This record gives sequence, structure tokens and C-alpha cells, in this order.
Amino acid sequence: MNMNFLRLIGVIALTALVQSARAELKWEQTSVDLHPGFNDKQAVAHFKYENVGNTPVHFNSVHASCGCTTAQTQNEQVPPGQKGEITATFNIGGRTGTQVKTVTVQTDDPDPASSTTVLTLKAVITPLLEIQPALVYWQNGEEPKPKTITAKANKDAGVKKLDVVSSTPDFTAKVDAGSAPNEFRISVRPRDTTKAVYATLTIKPDSSANTGNVFAAAARVMPLAPTSGTAITPSTKAAVSTIRHDLATPAPTAGSPRQ
Amino acid sequence: MAKVEEMTRSTVESLKSLKSLSQQFFWRLMDLLVGGIFIYAGVIKAIDPLRFAIDIDNYKMLPWAIGVRLAFYLPWLELLCGLALILRFFYCGGLLILTALTFSFIAASIIAKVRGLDITCGCFGHASKNWSFTTHLALDFAILIALIALWVSSRARQREL
Amino acid sequence: MKVSAVRQTLLLIALASVPAIGEAIYFRDKVSWQSPDRSSEMVNLDQAQSWGENAIWVDARSDNEFEQDHVPGAIPLNEDRWNELLPTLLAQWSLEKKIVVYCSSQSCNASREVARRLRDEAGLKGVFVLQGGWEEWQKSKR
Repeated sequence: MNMNFLRLIGVIALTALVQSARAELKWEQTSVDLHPGFNDKQAVAHFKYENVGNTPVHFNSVHASCGCTTAQTQNEQVPPGQKGEITATFNIGGRTGTQVKTVTVQTDDPDPASSTTVLTLKAVITPLLEIQPALVYWQNGEEPKPKTITAKANKDAGVKKLDVVSSTPDFTAKVDAGSAPNEFRISVRPRDTTKAVYATLTIKPDSSANTGNVFAAAARVMPLAPTSGTAITPSTKAAVSTIRHDLATPAPTAGSPRQ
Repeated sequence: MAKVEEMTRSTVESLKSLKSLSQQFFWRLMDLLVGGIFIYAGVIKAIDPLRFAIDIDNYKMLPWAIGVRLAFYLPWLELLCGLALILRFFYCGGLLILTALTFSFIAASIIAKVRGLDITCGCFGHASKNWSFTTHLALDFAILIALIALWVSSRARQREL
Repeated sequence: MKVSAVRQTLLLIALASVPAIGEAIYFRDKVSWQSPDRSSEMVNLDQAQSWGENAIWVDARSDNEFEQDHVPGAIPLNEDRWNELLPTLLAQWSLEKKIVVYCSSQSCNASREVARRLRDEAGLKGVFVLQGGWEEWQKSKR
């Protein structure tokens, strides 16, 4: 009984010793939520750490999940008791919505469970203007009825007015207030749908907070379905559609009509 | 004199049992109604678990891996608990689970709304996608109150026994 | 009474898992269990190549990667420069065309994100993600 008890004490003591010899990096947070403003080009997260062990910690690698995020440590070696931080910079680019990017940190900690830490950066990106859909189009010959693009402005931006200009005179655009606050309805109309046309609609919000952000949508009248340059007469159109139909359906039975 | 007394007593007894019967009937009806709602909700979601998984994901509260598994599981739980109410087997358990589910769902909806998420509910499947947030919330609160009422009445019934 | 209610709860929870597991087994190949991958909108390399002229190839990788090498005729469209690059695609797309988006490999997320935005924000139809991505394309060229 005594021997076993002593052995137990010995094991506990040894375990404690082994534990205490571990290098350990303690993270203040491993997940950071960011809410960049609509004019921000980057979102920066600071992941603070402290070496609470009694041996130095060395960063073997600090690697971001995508090319849009860069991560930097202050120093590669962290002596015991030292604090520091890893700065993750996320380049927002044209991204919107909730973006989750991770930075994987590998240290020389012998314990595989704590040698790898995944730091998460969650950025909720609300652009100044959200435009939907990005493209309005009409088929060749379709009735030139107006189609609507909805633009939702960020409620903190105080957008009162939108200026919409088409790159070609083939389309006209009219802006009205939408059904919800900060919402605008852009009504786009082609002059003529018999020829293929493409235009960029440049959308400028009047907000003073807007530092030169350019928004755009596109409007198009589609070209006629390709028939390799033959003149489109009603009979050609019918022939084309029959050929297409035949290609799409399985081998015709004896009873089906053929042109 | 005694006869009048006796008649009064028996009338009172009859009225009491009538009241008790109509109460029983009322609560039974509630069981059927609430149980039926959950059976319907469960079936609608069990039929299209993929759609339900997407609806859960729209709340952005759970990772997809968990949400998709819940999408397969929850409808059946709802269905079973709805049946429990109607068939009166595992009645208390069913009530407890449904109350917990309804409560968590109301909480999740409010959180999502506060976060500005624009989501279709998914609780009654895509059949309910055109209802406003207020309508949904009102219905859910009504269901929650009904569940709590059923719980209270079943406890009272237990105590009477 | 209280214990009994708890036991009932646990039993119901356990019972419900039976049909749930059954249904999950039935749907096991139709569902993406790890991430919201729209498997019905993926396309393998052979199929994508069979579309010939009707396919518009979209490279969702970074500008550097695109410049190094890309599928011949592919249009770059990445999230870094989404607003600048999108109009080029919009000018070329039409309803008969199919868009094939690729990024470096099967596991990279950029192609799925780009595809999702093309469907949701631009309202385009016929948007597909290339199974295996750029890696798959390179394998086939060897």
C-alpha cells in the first residue's frame, strides 16, 4: 500500500514536472469579429498571445487561408513571459457579406495538440451600395419593357440620391425611391432590342461619406442566337429551332414530324 | 327538504362533471391542434431536408456541418413529439421537447433579425416564406403559450389523480 | 413524475434519430456534409470541354496566378477586383452559354464563391464550378 502510494505520488510529480517544462502560448482570443466601414480597404485583426510556459516558443509557420489575408508576427521567437501579437490583415477587395478567413500558426511546441492554433478572422462587410442584379438583359426582339435594378444603401452612409449614367445612349435609366428606407429602384430601358448592345451603368451615390467608390451595373440586349452568319428569316429561324430540338431530344420515332 | 338538498347536490355534481368534461375536451382539442401543427411542420421539413439545411444555414449561427445534420434530425423529432401529444404517449417528454424547440427557435429568429439577416423562416417549410417576421413571431409565441398552458393543465390533472 | 418526464424526453430524442438516420443514409450522396457545396452545379472536366464554344471559362484565382498560366481564353474574375473584372464577363455571357469557374484545386473555395455571386448577384444562369479546378486541367494536359 505504501509502495503503491509512493509510486502514485511519483507519477503525479513527474507529470507535473513534464507539464511545467512545456512551452505554452496562451491566446487572448483565437477568434476576432470585425466590422470594417464601407470605405475601408482592409480589416485588421490583432491576435494577442503570451508565453506562459518556461521555455521559449518559436513560430515555425504563420500561414493564411487565402492570398487576400497576410499575417505577421512581431517576432519569431517568444521568450517565457513575453507577450506579443499576430496581426492579420485582410484585403477586402470586392468582397461582401460575412467573410471568414483563418491563419494557421505552427509553433515548436512538442505537444501536437497545442502546436497548431487556428486563428479566425470574421469580417462582416457591408458595402456602401448593394446592387442587384448586376446585369439586366433583354433577348433580341423582346419587348423593350423597363427592368429594375435594386440598390440598397448602407444605412450609416446617409445616401439621399443616386446618379445613374449609361455608357451608351441605347439605354435610359431612371431612379426612384424603393419600398424600404435606403433603397432605390433603378429602372432601365433599352431604346431598341433588335440589335445587340452592351452598356455599363455607372451608379454614383451622393453620400458625402463616399470617397470615390464607383459602382456599376450592366445592361444588355443579347445578340441573336448564333447561326453562323446566315440571314435570319422566319424560315431559317424555324429550321434552326427544329435542328436544336432534334439535337436535344432522343432519336425521333417514326411518327414524329420532320422538316 | 332532504330531497331538495339531494337534488341540489346532484345538480351541482352534474354541473361539475360537465365542466370537467368540457375542460377535458378543450385540453384534448389543444393537444390535437398543437400536436397537429408540429406534425405538419415536421413532415414539410422531413420531405426536403436539403432545403431545411439551407434555411438553417441562413441564420448563420451554426456551422454547415452541424446545421445539415440537424436538418435531417429535427423534423422527425417534431413529428414524433407532435404524435406524442396526440396519442398521449410520452406526453410530458413531448411537451418539454416542443417547448424547448419553440423557445430556441424564437430566440434564434430574434437574434437573426437583430443582426439584420433577411431570412425566410423555414419552420413551416417554404410554404411560409412570404409571411412577415411579425406574423411568424406572433404564431410562435402563440404556440409557446399553448405549450406552456398544456403543461400546466397536465400537471393539474396529475395532481388531481 | 419529474424523472419520468426526463426519461420520456431522452427516449423521444433517441427514437427520433432512427428515421433521421434512415433518411440521412438515403440522401447520403445527394448532400454535402461538410460545407454548403452545391454539388448539382459542379461539372467535371470532360463535360465542360464538351461544351466547346458555348463555355465561358472563368479563372477565380488571384491576378498573379492568372498571369502565370490559365486556361486558354479564360476570363479572370476574382474577389479582389470583383467590380473591375465583372463587366468583361457580363459583356460576353448570354443564355446559351455555360460559365465554368475554376480555382486552384478541388478544395479551394474561391470558385464556389465566385459562382455563387454570379448566380445570386448577377442573376446569371448556367454557372458551374469545375471539379478539381486548375489542378485537374493541368493533369489532363500532361
